[in-house]
Amino acid sequence: MKVALFVPCYVDQFYPQVAVAALQLLAKLGVRAEFPPRQTCCGQPMANSGCEQAAQPVYRHFVDVFQDYDYVVGPAGSCVYHVRRHFDTLDQTPAVVRVRRNTVELFDFITRVLGVDQIAGRFPYQVGLHLSCHGQRGLHLATASELTPVRDGQLRRLLSGLDGLTLTELDRNDECCGFGGTFCVSEAAISARMGQDRVADHLRHGTQVLTGGDMSCLLHLEGIVRRRKLPLRVLHAAEILNGTLP
Amino acid sequence: MSSRARILAAVRASQPAPHSLPPVPTFRGDISAAKFTAMLEASGGRVVRLPGLGALAATVAGLYPADYRVASDLVPATVPVTCDTPGAELATLDLAVLRGAFGVAENGCVWLPEAAMLHRALPTIAQHLALVVPATGLVATMHQAYARLAGQPGGYGVFLAGPSKTADIEQSLVIGAHGARSLTVLLHD
Amino acid sequence: MSPPPDHAQRSELFLLDHERTTWHDETLWFVRQKRDRAAYATPEFQELRRLASDLKDHTLSRLAQYLEQFEAAALANGVHVHWAADAAEHNALVLGIVQRAGARRVVKSKSMLTEECHLNPHLLAHGVEVIDSDLGERIIQLRAEPPSHVVLPAIHLKKEDVGETFWQHLGTEKGLTDPQQLTEAARQHLREKFLAAEVAISGVNFAVAETGSVVVCTNEGNADLAIGLARVHIACMGLEKLVPRLADLAVFTRLLTRSATGQPITTYTSHFTRPQPGREMHVVIVDNGRSQQLGRPDFRASLKCIRCGACMNTCPVYRRSGGHSYDFTIPGPIGAILSPNIDMRKHASLPFASTLCGSCTDVCPVRIDIHSQLYKWRQVLGAAGLVPASKQYGMRLLSRVLARPALFRLGGAAARLGLRLVPHALSHAPGYNPWAIARELPAPPRQSFRQWYAHQSPPAHE
Repeated sequence: MKVALFVPCYVDQFYPQVAVAALQLLAKLGVRAEFPPRQTCCGQPMANSGCEQAAQPVYRHFVDVFQDYDYVVGPAGSCVYHVRRHFDTLDQTPAVVRVRRNTVELFDFITRVLGVDQIAGRFPYQVGLHLSCHGQRGLHLATASELTPVRDGQLRRLLSGLDGLTLTELDRNDECCGFGGTFCVSEAAISARMGQDRVADHLRHGTQVLTGGDMSCLLHLEGIVRRRKLPLRVLHAAEILNGTLP
Repeated sequence: MSSRARILAAVRASQPAPHSLPPVPTFRGDISAAKFTAMLEASGGRVVRLPGLGALAATVAGLYPADYRVASDLVPATVPVTCDTPGAELATLDLAVLRGAFGVAENGCVWLPEAAMLHRALPTIAQHLALVVPATGLVATMHQAYARLAGQPGGYGVFLAGPSKTADIEQSLVIGAHGARSLTVLLHD
Repeated sequence: MSPPPDHAQRSELFLLDHERTTWHDETLWFVRQKRDRAAYATPEFQELRRLASDLKDHTLSRLAQYLEQFEAAALANGVHVHWAADAAEHNALVLGIVQRAGARRVVKSKSMLTEECHLNPHLLAHGVEVIDSDLGERIIQLRAEPPSHVVLPAIHLKKEDVGETFWQHLGTEKGLTDPQQLTEAARQHLREKFLAAEVAISGVNFAVAETGSVVVCTNEGNADLAIGLARVHIACMGLEKLVPRLADLAVFTRLLTRSATGQPITTYTSHFTRPQPGREMHVVIVDNGRSQQLGRPDFRASLKCIRCGACMNTCPVYRRSGGHSYDFTIPGPIGAILSPNIDMRKHASLPFASTLCGSCTDVCPVRIDIHSQLYKWRQVLGAAGLVPASKQYGMRLLSRVLARPALFRLGGAAARLGLRLVPHALSHAPGYNPWAIARELPAPPRQSFRQWYAHQSPPAHE
């Protein structure tokens, strides 16, 4: 099985430790993932802004870089969703079809492809799980409150398997954090207010470590936590599952 | 070209490819009087069980003040109402007692056809409304309810669930917006 | 004074009042929770959504035929049927009916269509008194404001605002804030209007092709009371309101209020099929851009909307920006996909007023792919040059960088270096960096992941 690690552009530049954790976590599970260094970005920032046409060269570059892999694994539901869903604007060549099908979110890969639903480890903290909307409602990696009262999801299960970890019960289990790609600057005031409300929900219910599967949501929430100097650590779930302690 | 012709032509030119009409299953469910009662009470209504229609007049007399101005074709009325009764006269009514055709258990509503209303405005203009409904005729869901109408809704008819209400001020529920301030369903065997 | 030109700026006005924004958000979230409980309690809820979606898709695919069938059935019932291509024709038709009836006093129950067409100013300008009878609509009519929600038109107001308005216009006691007493005052005030009205105007929730009936759903009973008393009933409907058969209403009535407010059904679900002898009933069928939207394959599903407002209640942006921030008759996510069809330039910011979280799509009772349509409108607006030039230019530049790994490496390194070297006050200056109004930028690491990876042994790939 030939596996590529897809590292979103902003993770590569600003959160290298998340990609390191993803790589090491996969290695622990017996998967030696490669990082094709020519990779850049999935093109979502442009398409999200109404410039899908301008994003086409980026899409083609992505397909070119990853077409020879059995799986393209990314620690970011939103970017994975973009590739799977919105690369429909490319000519559907066999390479495009393959890359769209094989691009998989990290915890979906661990759970569904590797069949792993328990990772040994200890994390004696109260953890607040932030579900990324594209992972949850887009890729269906977790149940959604719009559809069912049942709370379940791959990441929720993996985290629950760690010793000492308790999950926070929130007032709003799956409300959007307000990042929204370029929304975070084009509608900065609303975006900030949404993020502040999300962080407050976690604080109100005792979250010590805020985590999730999508660094883009966490980048936004961490920015709020740091601005307000709040008593919360923000870690990507790959870091927690890889044994990083706050 | 008339607007009608222009609109229809524009619609025809824009319609998507044919999409088949889905068969709608008959969703069944609880048809108990208990379910109907619970749902109507949740909508602010009240259910009173009648042993039989013979007890109707006495029950109504026991439920409402004696000086109420009443319109009804089921119990002794103090104000005769027909479809020609002027609005000003209707506006003085305290109570209307009318026959509801059947109740729907899933949501506590009652089908009130025009023929049972005496006047179209009566069910909303009277301060209080009581509907006499057979307990044996309850249906489970709106699917069975519309099946009972068999494509014949009459000139005017209402599925009525509870008293008039609003929550337009700060989402605070207030009973008695414009229509009846209370709804009592008299369920008889 | 005209409102600011885009949604972001209009939202900032709403957000200025922190406490009220919190209240607005929490109140609508509470409505969303009531909707959830009603949906969970109905075992076939998801199946009903699929059926409703299919029924609407079917109806749209044969809309002309169903419109003709509806018209024929209505005419046979003694109902007058009128067709209006646009808002102006709709208003002229309604005024004509009122004038032919020799009427001066009109009461109107809730109708988003007549809001869309701005019927009230037209009637008033021709000497016709028109009173909105839905409590929320009456409140905002007295305040000369547009509705901020399709189901809860006055949800942007607090009871103190309503008390003030009623004190000014209805002569209630100053400082009255009890919703019960305020509602009672409106009841007394509006009873007089109901009794005096010669014409009752209503909206239409559903029109049944099979029987020629129009169905009006209210909780207050205001439509039934007005129509039951007035000599003339005018029902105004968008041409997308049709359902094929009477029995199809079962699917829609089961979904409408569960989605809207969490009630199992509206208090009054009223079927108007024939006028009472000696009275008149008119139906005005309005296009006003709908046939054009029907012709847009990516956006025609927006016409399936049954105006339940669930997408507004669930939208985390709407809850924090208020309905007026959309500056369109129908606010919220559904309004953001309907409005560009009417005026692409004016409403260009609305498809961007979303994080594309997708919650709207998942609560929609007729399964409109709202968030996908928002995404698609962005592309249409981008192609039409209607996104800000700075954004377009920036995105083209970004694309050139991201399609070239060497440039990307260089750009990323420069950004990290810049963040380290530039003083915080400058990198976080609110005038230049909207991110920084409430957030810190990430602390820039010394090394990117790719730099780290290149130094691992065994040597990295390539």
